[in-house]
Amino acid sequence: MESSQRKHAAAEGSSVRPKRSLKHRLVWLVDHLKNEWQLYVMLAPAIIWFLVFLYKPMYGLQIAFKDYSIFLGVKDSPWVGWEHFQTLFSNDQFIRAFLNTIKISALNLLFGFPAPIILALLFNEILNATYKRTAQTIVYLPHFISSVIIAGIVTTAFAPTAGIVNTVMGWFGLDSIYFLTRPEWFRPIFVGTGIWQEAGFGSIVFLAAIAGVNPSLYESAVVDGASRWQMIWKITLPSIMPTIIIMLIIRIGNIMEVSFEMIILLYQPSTYSTADVVNTWVYRQGLQSGQYDVAAAAGLFNAIVAFVLVMVANTLARRYGRTSLW
Amino acid sequence: MSGVKLEKICKSYGRLEVVHGIDLEVNEKEFVVLVGPSGCGKSTTLRMIAGLEEITSGDISIDGRLVNRVAPKDRDVAMVFQNYALYPHLKVFENIAFGLRIRKESNDHINKTVAEVSEVLGLTPYLDRRPAELSGGQRQRVAMGRAIVRHPKVFLFDEPLSNLDAKLRTQMRAEIKQLHKRLGATSVYVTHDQVEAMTLADRIVVMNDGYIEQIGTPMELFVNPANTFVASFIGSPPMNQMPAQIASSSAGFQAKVNDEVTFALPDNARVEAGQQVVVGVRPEHLSLNAGDGASAIPISLDLVEPLGSEALLHTSIGEHSLVVKAETHGDITHLSEVTQVYAPVHLVSVFDAESGLALTTGQRG
Repeated sequence: MESSQRKHAAAEGSSVRPKRSLKHRLVWLVDHLKNEWQLYVMLAPAIIWFLVFLYKPMYGLQIAFKDYSIFLGVKDSPWVGWEHFQTLFSNDQFIRAFLNTIKISALNLLFGFPAPIILALLFNEILNATYKRTAQTIVYLPHFISSVIIAGIVTTAFAPTAGIVNTVMGWFGLDSIYFLTRPEWFRPIFVGTGIWQEAGFGSIVFLAAIAGVNPSLYESAVVDGASRWQMIWKITLPSIMPTIIIMLIIRIGNIMEVSFEMIILLYQPSTYSTADVVNTWVYRQGLQSGQYDVAAAAGLFNAIVAFVLVMVANTLARRYGRTSLW
Repeated sequence: MSGVKLEKICKSYGRLEVVHGIDLEVNEKEFVVLVGPSGCGKSTTLRMIAGLEEITSGDISIDGRLVNRVAPKDRDVAMVFQNYALYPHLKVFENIAFGLRIRKESNDHINKTVAEVSEVLGLTPYLDRRPAELSGGQRQRVAMGRAIVRHPKVFLFDEPLSNLDAKLRTQMRAEIKQLHKRLGATSVYVTHDQVEAMTLADRIVVMNDGYIEQIGTPMELFVNPANTFVASFIGSPPMNQMPAQIASSSAGFQAKVNDEVTFALPDNARVEAGQQVVVGVRPEHLSLNAGDGASAIPISLDLVEPLGSEALLHTSIGEHSLVVKAETHGDITHLSEVTQVYAPVHLVSVFDAESGLALTTGQRG
């Protein structure tokens, strides 16, 4: 009897599952909402925040295709098609800002992205708990300092006369350099400041990933004869690779969002050639020159480039690394 | 020359001593199982042999060499972990080859050795898979392969089967036993499962609370437990134990549980009249049929648990419970009528009521 039931069930299982009707699905949804409404109430603030602050402003994006006048408003300003984009790509300063954004982001990615990973690996090797906690606190601290203060510290440190950097250079008989007015020094100082400010805090996520690695893997490797260095390369790094890939995709998504505040605080007209990025250009065009439509076109271009980059990165990660953001 | 020798090994974490000066000698090619309840110090002892835990005091020797201060990699041991400890990002081949690659063996040697080991373990079809794509039993085989491939002097197993289901555990147990026969390597195996200990071990070390309670062959431990702890830990169901007082008669000593229940004691029992003891008899040693010199024990049957070829009779004698293992011969109806069981005199154990130590000497069974 039971045997025949099992055969019958197996035969049913092998058949194609019938597609549920719309009515059936609606009934399921209503039941689901009735049962789980508390979860949706908790989710509501986040959804409202996204709608109000991120989706509703998208309505204003249309001014990138309009001859925007604050008197006519977004709706009544006349359409101009791709005119603002043509203006952008024929503007040398925008092209320069775009290339600067790419260069600074590339440097940030090259030096700034591995820094927290290396820091997390180093912290993981510290055995003395007190020393480890103290070191972690010291490197996390700059993250909690305002960008204005950080910029002040950097400006003071690189000042031509009393700055610590020039003072140390003076001990070695080197000439004083006014770093922050020299275009060739802007990018190294900017990238270095970013690493100093964020590498420590950024290491937390990698430390958490390392903490999740099964300790038996290390013990097994110790018995097999692996050195600390081999364990980092052959166990820790591969084990936290999914986290690294996810963080890399997020980072690539933000590649066009070079730390706007810090650039505004550190750059000056003499360093525009290497320091001016799309966001600072948009700020000057939009808010200082009142060309909101051209600034919106630049912002939209920026967002599309970032979107394409994050899509490509995610697809590559999924195809080759078996890990992806979605 | 011994495989592994532990002399007065102590382990403390701060002020807390968890292993209290144990001595153990594992002979070459011997399979020794450390068994005991959780927290008894068996895994700590194994990890001290591996070098993953520092010893607080005492000496550990492997193959005659003192290894107290020798790094794990230089002890020539291989360890199989409870959770397999397979590298999830590496394929089966690379997992098995890991130890050889670390030791910078040549590719030819690695390919040849991994092929041999995977053949022995039936892993050849799975060499290109990652651990996540394997069943629990296959993962455990990979873990063993990683240990075997290095041809170590000593194999250490830390509860390697506890993550497997009952059926797979039985199968893997047999495979480990066959593998040990084939390789003939000295093995120290930790488990909390006494069935695993009984089936695998040449000798069993029963640990409790950081001390060794008894070392012996499975049958020695089963028939002649050194104390009440070993008597209750080894055997399933455990040995029936109940307090009793020694009485003497012309027939010899008896352990009197109450006015109706008296166990005749074997001649080798070192007891005296009036002594408070614990009398013990294994469920499988109680018989439904009277035998020569067997004590008749009147019982009150509470429950019959059929197991197939055998059944467990849960009975009471006064305020004490007594479990009897009886053969069913395919029918349990006759078991519900049992009112008396018999304890063969030579299979009755007696322990000191205070210390719990066995008061019977010499071989039995």
